[in-house]
Amino acid sequence: MTVNIDPKAMYALKDYSQAEVYVSKTRVHTVYIDNSRISNIETKDDTGMMFRMIKDGRVGKASVTLDSEDSIDDCLAMADTVLGYSPVTQNPNDYPCPEQAKISAPDVFDPEVESADAAILRDLAQRVIDATSSCKTAEVKIPRAQIRLSVTESRVMNGNGVDVGHRSTLVYGHFTSMCVRDHPGEGITTFHGTHLTLDPDAIGTEIARQACDAAICREFKGHVEIPMALCPGEGSSMILSSVGSAVHGESVRYKRSPWTEKSGEIVASECLNITDDPTVSAPLSCVFDDEGTPAYRKDVIENGVLKGFLRDSFCGNSTGNAMRRSSVEPQGTYERTPTIKPLNLRVKAGTKSKEDMISEFDDLVLVDKFASPECDELSGAFGLNVRSATVYHRGEPVQIINNALMAGNMFDCLKDIRCICNDSVQTGVVELPTICYGGTELIGN
Amino acid sequence: MQKTVVSEAADIQDILQQAVWLMSDMGADFADAKSQTVRNTGISTINGDVRQLVRKRVGGVCLRAWINGRWGYGNCTSFDKESVIRAANDAVKNARGDGSEFLKLEPVVVRKHLKADVRIHPDNVDLSDKIEAVRTIDKSQKIDDRIINTTAAYAEEIKDNCLVNSVGSDLSWQEVRTICRAHSIASDGDNMEQYYDGPDGSRGFETVKDLDLERLGRETAKEAVRSLRAVRCPSGNLTVISDPMVTGLLAHEAMGHASEGDEITKRRSFLTDAVGKEVASGIISMYDNGTVPGAHGSVPFDDEGTPSSSTKIIDHGVYTGYMHSLETAAKLGLAPTGNGRAENFGKRTWVRMTNTYFGPGEWDKDELIADTRDGILTDKMINGMEDPVGGCFEAKALRGYIVRNGEITDVVKSFTLTGKSLDILKTVDALSNEVILDGGMCGKGIEDWVRVSSGGPHMRARMIVGGGQ
Repeated sequence: MTVNIDPKAMYALKDYSQAEVYVSKTRVHTVYIDNSRISNIETKDDTGMMFRMIKDGRVGKASVTLDSEDSIDDCLAMADTVLGYSPVTQNPNDYPCPEQAKISAPDVFDPEVESADAAILRDLAQRVIDATSSCKTAEVKIPRAQIRLSVTESRVMNGNGVDVGHRSTLVYGHFTSMCVRDHPGEGITTFHGTHLTLDPDAIGTEIARQACDAAICREFKGHVEIPMALCPGEGSSMILSSVGSAVHGESVRYKRSPWTEKSGEIVASECLNITDDPTVSAPLSCVFDDEGTPAYRKDVIENGVLKGFLRDSFCGNSTGNAMRRSSVEPQGTYERTPTIKPLNLRVKAGTKSKEDMISEFDDLVLVDKFASPECDELSGAFGLNVRSATVYHRGEPVQIINNALMAGNMFDCLKDIRCICNDSVQTGVVELPTICYGGTELIGN
Repeated sequence: MQKTVVSEAADIQDILQQAVWLMSDMGADFADAKSQTVRNTGISTINGDVRQLVRKRVGGVCLRAWINGRWGYGNCTSFDKESVIRAANDAVKNARGDGSEFLKLEPVVVRKHLKADVRIHPDNVDLSDKIEAVRTIDKSQKIDDRIINTTAAYAEEIKDNCLVNSVGSDLSWQEVRTICRAHSIASDGDNMEQYYDGPDGSRGFETVKDLDLERLGRETAKEAVRSLRAVRCPSGNLTVISDPMVTGLLAHEAMGHASEGDEITKRRSFLTDAVGKEVASGIISMYDNGTVPGAHGSVPFDDEGTPSSSTKIIDHGVYTGYMHSLETAAKLGLAPTGNGRAENFGKRTWVRMTNTYFGPGEWDKDELIADTRDGILTDKMINGMEDPVGGCFEAKALRGYIVRNGEITDVVKSFTLTGKSLDILKTVDALSNEVILDGGMCGKGIEDWVRVSSGGPHMRARMIVGGGQ
């Protein structure tokens, strides 16, 4: 698969003081599992482009799917119309100038994914189904799951001379499970990667375990202050909605980030180290971001101290974090205006296993699954419905619970980290281990 | 004026028809082909500056083949015959496989070609009028030094659809939706709070024209400033008066998702086998109705060509029925209800809601509050999450008020509501007499976003309340 930008596209943009063309081409194969059977398989081709330009302080922007010979002209005409109507912006951002790469190319392309077809998808899906149904504890099925393999190639060129391309593969899986009984419970897990390293047998076994645990959950009663340990899947969303939002350059620019004036200050426990690291194999790792600015590894929090923010060309002094691509959804990349995203937030793992951590606390709740894990990005507050969690007392599980609220404030939690484990997992653009936070409450009926 | 690319509807319809014939010839028990062009205009401002001004036109074709009870999809973003035929081949190949079983789909044959039913078509409004409207909303929010961020937005979406299938349906229709929003962030140095408001719907530019733009901006900002006085919400099992937005979340997230036919055929829903059973207080009735004029989730046809309809899900506390696509209706031997929907031409079609709401009661809203001794009144939602398996409900309210001895007292910060859905519905003892719908996007699992609305009256019930810190 190759993606080229039609020369007439760049030629058409020469009349603008700033101009950019972005093109992406994607092929996606997805298999869906419904009720422990393969229900459908889809094959999808998706190609499109976006024009952005600036002239006399006015900004134009439009995107189209490349579905006909007229598509480029249509897109340019739309963008030019938008520019004609655009109010004059006092400080229009310049697009990037060409720069040398700052890192070597991360390993984000797997030829096996590129050559995958319906037969490979069927095989992967069937193995997950078989592994789940071979659970010895209870009859477990997969009500809903999907595995998506995609290859995306993109290229961005601008009037300043930037001309960079990117090619990557994405493997994404979302799996649910449930016990076949009156009070079934549900397990959920995801897989995020760039290579076909998805282990269908391990996934099937894990979701079967989760379903069995969830099936014996009991409603929590009472109200206790108790440390909260978050497994990587749930922890990643909480880190993204707190740290990810607070270091977002645009939030800082508009002073709505709670960390706006806090660069160089302590914002977390000393044990917390977070980098944004696009050098390793991860869904959004790249040499250049989607505007053509070099990406690089940067410290976000070092020993609890805030080291810096993530920026794009709009915010100025770009850190190479302008992204159109998604860590989950490859379709429609060209439709998206570049926005600031972490490329790969990595929380430095600790040395303890999860089991060692559990044994060291008098009381602890280990959350397997929230209904919707996120905190308020302005205040950090959260009150989250617990779908499945285990309450431990002196290292022993005393109750598997659901239907309770876990409440606290994520920015306070970051300053009260009790333990960071060594079981790191990649979830979307975050790689982190199980982490235990203090200052949280569990509220039941 | 924007150009409609798929203007030669007859040509694409012809290509789609040939693709359907091909899939049938290749052994499909049923096949359909849909083309779609989606045009969007989006305008947003921050602190008075235009931050986003963008137009998009995306389009593509979705081919589906149904063979021995299994779907195969082929999608492409080209309308030329060669690409469409290649995608049709992909669809048939993908549908084949071992271990499947025959199931006959029973689609309704429809031949109709509809234009969007809007008063002021967005294509007939100059872009400068749309920009000016957004700037007015933004400017009007600057009422106080404590307003640190003002945001305003307008978005329109015009979808042109063509669909043909192997039983002879031949359809084309246009959907038009508009949305207008004000969003203010206030800060007093220690706290930051936000508020938002604005209308939406399957309407044209009348969504903006019928609006007092300055008032929308001013009132939104006023409410954000008011939220700075908010205190932490009490926690526990409390009496809650949910506003129409949060009532709508209960309808949509707690009961709606669990009433989607595919969750029933898989026996994943806690409402499986619930038809005829008492599931709520006798004053509760609930609907999914894709025909509500002007509502955000309304569609003339679903993405399988089934005409939209109204499904009564709960009738005076008794559970009455589910929503269906062609597949789930066939599995249960029922008629499809027009709920087979897809985010767009590149996404899966499965059972999705349209406009989901609880019916009205008899109370005047103010009388309902006056009748409440101790409780929490919610004011707008942030989001909610479904739990078809466990039957739990989760809704995050943007803020609320404490009700004490029938009077509204302190404003409270964002909080979460939860509980077992059926337990909550059985405690409902009062509903106000007006139903308000609020538009939004609904994902199933974590993706496949479709436009819906949800709502209902003010509703009094017992729920678990947890405040953040």
